[in-house]
Amino acid sequence: MSAVPKQHPSQDVLLSIRDVKKHYPIRDGALQRVVGSVRAVDGVSFDIRRGETVGLVGESGCGKTTLGRVISGLSDPTGGGVLYNLSQIGLQSIDGLQDQASRLFRRNCQMVFQDSFASLNPRHLVVDIVGRPLKVYKEASGSALTEKVVELLEQVGLGRQHLYRYPHQFSGGQRQRISIARALALDPEIIVLDEPTSALDVSVQAQILNLLNDLQKERNLAYLFITHDLSVVRHMADRLVVMYLGKVSEAGVASEIFKAPHHPYTKALMDSKPDLYEDRSETHTRGLGGIVPDPARPPQGCRFHTRCQSATPSCGWEVDDVIGLLEENHGIFEFMNGVERKSAFEAELSFDNEEAAGLLAMALRSEQAPAAMKKALIRLQLNGNRVNLSFDQVDEVPLIQRAGGRESSCLLDPDEISIQGM
Amino acid sequence: MFDDIQTPQSQEGTKFSSVASVRDLKVHFKAKRGIVHAVDGVSFEIRDGETLGLVGETGCGKSVTGRSFLRLLPVPPGILAGGSVQFKPQAACGGCNGEGCDSCAGTGRAATGEQQVDLLKISDEQMRRIRGDRIAMIFQDPGKALNPTMTIGAQVSEVFLQHRSKDLLKKAGLPADIGGSVGRFAHQEPRFGDGILLRVPPNRENRKRVQKALDVMVASSLADTQVPNPVKLMDRFPHELSGGMRQRVMIAQALACNPDLLIADEPTTALDVTVEARILDLIRDLQQRRKTSVLYISHDLSLVRRICDRVAVMYAGRIVEIGPSEEVFRNPRHPYTRGLIAAVPAAGTPRGQLAAIRGSVPELIDPPAACRFSGRCLYETSACRKHDPVLYNVSEGHSVACFIDHAAPSGDQPKYEKETT
Repeated sequence: MSAVPKQHPSQDVLLSIRDVKKHYPIRDGALQRVVGSVRAVDGVSFDIRRGETVGLVGESGCGKTTLGRVISGLSDPTGGGVLYNLSQIGLQSIDGLQDQASRLFRRNCQMVFQDSFASLNPRHLVVDIVGRPLKVYKEASGSALTEKVVELLEQVGLGRQHLYRYPHQFSGGQRQRISIARALALDPEIIVLDEPTSALDVSVQAQILNLLNDLQKERNLAYLFITHDLSVVRHMADRLVVMYLGKVSEAGVASEIFKAPHHPYTKALMDSKPDLYEDRSETHTRGLGGIVPDPARPPQGCRFHTRCQSATPSCGWEVDDVIGLLEENHGIFEFMNGVERKSAFEAELSFDNEEAAGLLAMALRSEQAPAAMKKALIRLQLNGNRVNLSFDQVDEVPLIQRAGGRESSCLLDPDEISIQGM
Repeated sequence: MFDDIQTPQSQEGTKFSSVASVRDLKVHFKAKRGIVHAVDGVSFEIRDGETLGLVGETGCGKSVTGRSFLRLLPVPPGILAGGSVQFKPQAACGGCNGEGCDSCAGTGRAATGEQQVDLLKISDEQMRRIRGDRIAMIFQDPGKALNPTMTIGAQVSEVFLQHRSKDLLKKAGLPADIGGSVGRFAHQEPRFGDGILLRVPPNRENRKRVQKALDVMVASSLADTQVPNPVKLMDRFPHELSGGMRQRVMIAQALACNPDLLIADEPTTALDVTVEARILDLIRDLQQRRKTSVLYISHDLSLVRRICDRVAVMYAGRIVEIGPSEEVFRNPRHPYTRGLIAAVPAAGTPRGQLAAIRGSVPELIDPPAACRFSGRCLYETSACRKHDPVLYNVSEGHSVACFIDHAAPSGDQPKYEKETT
């Protein structure tokens, strides 16, 4: 398990996420037996310290929202755990917290959701929505409650006149402010912000980001800022965690990652978003080819190797990559009638006729196959209408510690990538 | 990037030829509380072969403007309150299919005598002929815009059956005026009983030939959008594809007939950034190759800056600034444009000091005769509250609807040096 290195004393750590896994079962057949699992989050570790903002970025489907829900206790992890720093006892798993402690965690960890339409009850007045946590925790009642709600609304830039209105009477930005007021009601230590501004216009987004920053300064709040928008995260985050397919691909101090991204995936993410303040240049954007692999069967070795531009032979090439190549190739895939796997790295493909088998062998030797894949292929045997394949066995790439408290799950040295990525 | 296309024209001293021009377009919507002026006097032109960006916040009327080109507005409650959308169809050159050859002097356009038409006035029949053929549209959410009950192949085929029946029959080796059930099949005008008629010889064989020719056309249009294995893709349903792939299918469908004008309404908003970059490259590449003009509607300023030649900024149903995109982004003259640009988090902005535009977008019910941005503007004066500015030229091709660069009829002159609030 590789937690973020402890540069600060441990009492500074508010939440420690240790090897969290969240798998969703896939059921099939008449008896609905579990046949596999979608590994939405597959072993993620990092710490959140008091008063800091941790940015969590990645493409859709990388598990960032699921992780946010696990951290705030909305869903239970399949493995690993979230440790919460209780004032007397120190770090405790939130799973095992008893009555009092559990209530304490729940009031200290609040959440703001992306879709403010869905997260505010359309049948409740603003005063009920924002006052609800106060009521549940018996913080205030009667006119004191109303006054407290007014105070909260004023903090987020709304006012007394908004108390007795319904959510639909507000614009998107205002509704997001109501969500934030509700999250602030119990004076929490951390707020999990799940894409709080992605549904908003830039001018409104600027208002909300400024507001969040003011509140953080005032109350020494910690934020877990989940987003796919890198310009927002660069603006807000102290530290950054980049996720790909359920795993952390890079973590470290945000400004340093933006200055010199190490993992090719981080680099690709940053390259694909044009910067408004940069002159337009043709060479700047590249984006990523291919599709996100199926999280039920994540690729071997490095999970990113199927789309990586600087992949090497030791990045974990496997049989599935050959099949993926075939699918794009009209005229071979149709004739395949079976795959006999000995392991993820070794298989025998059988075809209807010898011609198709020959075509496959040719395709694997041609320019179509990535150069790194060709090198990783240690055996390619054509045997009538069968093709025997085997690749080098490769273990899963762990998060590797780098200089300056950075971590990344790339086998290559930072310098090597910058040369190859050109 | 498009300089090479435009330079010859500007050297001759003639004005840019435009594929479409919108003049004083007004689209209103009837609501319970009054008439909403969603688009209130918008004028601009789309030049031949350029990409015009239309940016603005939610509810500023940019999508309504885009949809009015194809008359895709719900009427009622929508009211076309005035103005016109002039469109000049320019059929692609027959010799090179729009790629530029000697016979068309590299423009890719055939010299057609087609008349300029007002898209808001023509008959439904005429509109149907233009829609999807001369003007095509890409929508924001490809999941909703594709029919979930039809295969990809069948959906893309429809474009050809509607607009390219003659080509299709020619490629199938059948006479262009073939009648009967096969003719109706190729024109997508099925009649009761055609299903049975198409199953008996000789219709059966002819239908098969048409289908084969159709499949070739569909596959080649899909292949243009760089999808892997287009033939296999044709048998798939939209739900089997990823978002980026669906958007590629939509683009294939939109560009199938080589339109003169492509309206892209936030085509990448629903996609991941990594996919977005690829889709943008694709649109840009296809556009350059086919010399299609594009109206690119988006709320994302950085995207617009990257891909558009000119940009129009909309606010509350009006265009407040229009000009070459480098000029507008480097030297924005309207306070709203400045506000929008400053609100985007940049590398160096200190945290918590983003320049937000105060207030929120006004309601567009019977707006008063004043600058629409007054109330949110940092520099407003008495003149801004009394008069409604129109677009004034500030430099070559760059116009701004603000008194800051142009004298107001009366009242104090707003100045950038003087914040009034």
